[in-house]
Amino acid sequence: MSAAGEPRTEATVEQLVSAGADLRVKRARHPGRWLGALLIAVLVAVLVRSVVTNENFQWDVVGEYIFDEGILSGLVTTLWLTVVAMLIGIVLSVILAVMRLSPNPLVSGASGFYLWFFRGTPVLVQLIFWYNLAALFPTISLGIPFGPSFIHGSSNAIITPYVAAILGLGLNEAAYMAEIVRAGILSVDKGQDDAARALGMKRSRAMRRVILPQAMRFIIPPTGNETIGMLKTTSLVSVIALSDLLYSAQAIYSRNYETIPLLIVVSIWYLFLTSLLTIGQRQIEAYFGRGHRGQAKGGRRGRRLPWSTTAGADQGAAR
Amino acid sequence: MSNPMVIVNEVSKSFGEIVVLQGVSLTLDRGEVMCVIGPSGSGKSTLLRCVNHLEKTDRGVIIVDDHLIGYRREGDALRELRESEVAVQRADIGMVFQRFNLFPHMTALENVVEAPIGVRREGRAAAQERAMDLLERVGLAHRVNSYPTMLSGGEQQRVAIARALAMRPKLMLFDEPTSALDPELVGEVLDVIRDLAADGMTMMIVTHEMAFARDVANRVVFMDHGAIVEQGPPEQLFGAPREERTRTFLLRSQDGAAQGT
Repeated sequence: MSAAGEPRTEATVEQLVSAGADLRVKRARHPGRWLGALLIAVLVAVLVRSVVTNENFQWDVVGEYIFDEGILSGLVTTLWLTVVAMLIGIVLSVILAVMRLSPNPLVSGASGFYLWFFRGTPVLVQLIFWYNLAALFPTISLGIPFGPSFIHGSSNAIITPYVAAILGLGLNEAAYMAEIVRAGILSVDKGQDDAARALGMKRSRAMRRVILPQAMRFIIPPTGNETIGMLKTTSLVSVIALSDLLYSAQAIYSRNYETIPLLIVVSIWYLFLTSLLTIGQRQIEAYFGRGHRGQAKGGRRGRRLPWSTTAGADQGAAR
Repeated sequence: MSNPMVIVNEVSKSFGEIVVLQGVSLTLDRGEVMCVIGPSGSGKSTLLRCVNHLEKTDRGVIIVDDHLIGYRREGDALRELRESEVAVQRADIGMVFQRFNLFPHMTALENVVEAPIGVRREGRAAAQERAMDLLERVGLAHRVNSYPTMLSGGEQQRVAIARALAMRPKLMLFDEPTSALDPELVGEVLDVIRDLAADGMTMMIVTHEMAFARDVANRVVFMDHGAIVEQGPPEQLFGAPREERTRTFLLRSQDGAAQGT
């Protein structure tokens, strides 16, 4: 009340009251912010100038290879590896999460063991393991345990680099996603399950129609992160000689020694894809946030930059 | 005469060490409205949740419309039913919760048609038409496409009642239906319940609204420490309670009501 400023005299109070509604409200001044913005602008200018003028970046070589056939086919491999590994991860993770929440200790224990094993070993090691499975099990057969088998063959024939890559990435992802799904399921109010069951829904139906759709609000944002992570983790498959985006670039620069420009090409593609994924994530978040006005989001940020991670979903959610 | 709608006989239940119900017995005739009152922690809500087997009982039987709820008799033992078998029994018993528990990702209309379509396998068009009628009946014809967060507490609770009615229940259970509401919204929900009573719906209502209980109930049950202390017609229980504990409780809740308003 008695802040520094004009002296509090009855005259000024009277003036204030009489001016009343005629006074315009102006925003507070933020000289610090302006200074900060200026500093950043200068730094960005310096950085851009050096990137553009530094000959070692060899932008002409980058331009030459950005749509190179080898690079593009590597890009396709990276994309579908990401999609298939994430699909396997998501489907398996829902099963693992429901198992983890089972009252049967054997069922929940099995899920717990899976998580312990796959989260406890590096995915790179798992990939190489799958690739070399033949050393452990020379033949693989699929059938009734201790009974007849339907598929039978040598591991080397069945576990191609593609299969090894998908198994390694997908099974590992399932372990991480399972924890995300489990947390999502647990975040749904117990009363929702009560209401679903009181209406005569069976467990599976209550899970599918009531619990999981609400858990989605909590599952989607970290799943977006996982997908973006997966996009980049797929670059590990170069160790089992699968020509993804990175491996294709390596193949080219091992011939022409243009290492830096080709790594720039790779980075540009990865950045492009993660940007696309971020946009997709926003759309999905808005869909599953329906019925929740904005409370699903971080919310407070006023102006949104195109690359900020939680943007604009509020409007979509508040239908 | 047909059997009573609800028979609760010698039902006991504990949560670990804590005994919540000890040998509770009561019957509820068809078309009768029963209000269950008592201090918090007296086991009223648990008893109600046992009637549709949301809580398991440790001993005793609960029979609704001639069906043994939650168990099957095997000689001199009770074998618990599988969740899917209990689900079939629950479909005929409506329940309304203190915290409404509407499905937040569905509109009012979607909330109401969800179980008739998914559980009863009714056609979508027929289910929607009936849902519209029910929502109109609870005074929410203009809110059918609203999500629960856009509705007031009283409106949410009325949607929840419509949702339960959509399953054409034989019995309605109300678990403190107005306890989570702002005082000015209590009336609209009680009016809907009163309307149901006039229609002859069999109801079991756990409530703290003494005036409402006196007005709508055929029978009032007073519970304390997991047991029924006294029960009877409202005039008798409120007007001339026989038990000392009932008198003390009624006096205290009157004081509370007087202070509250």
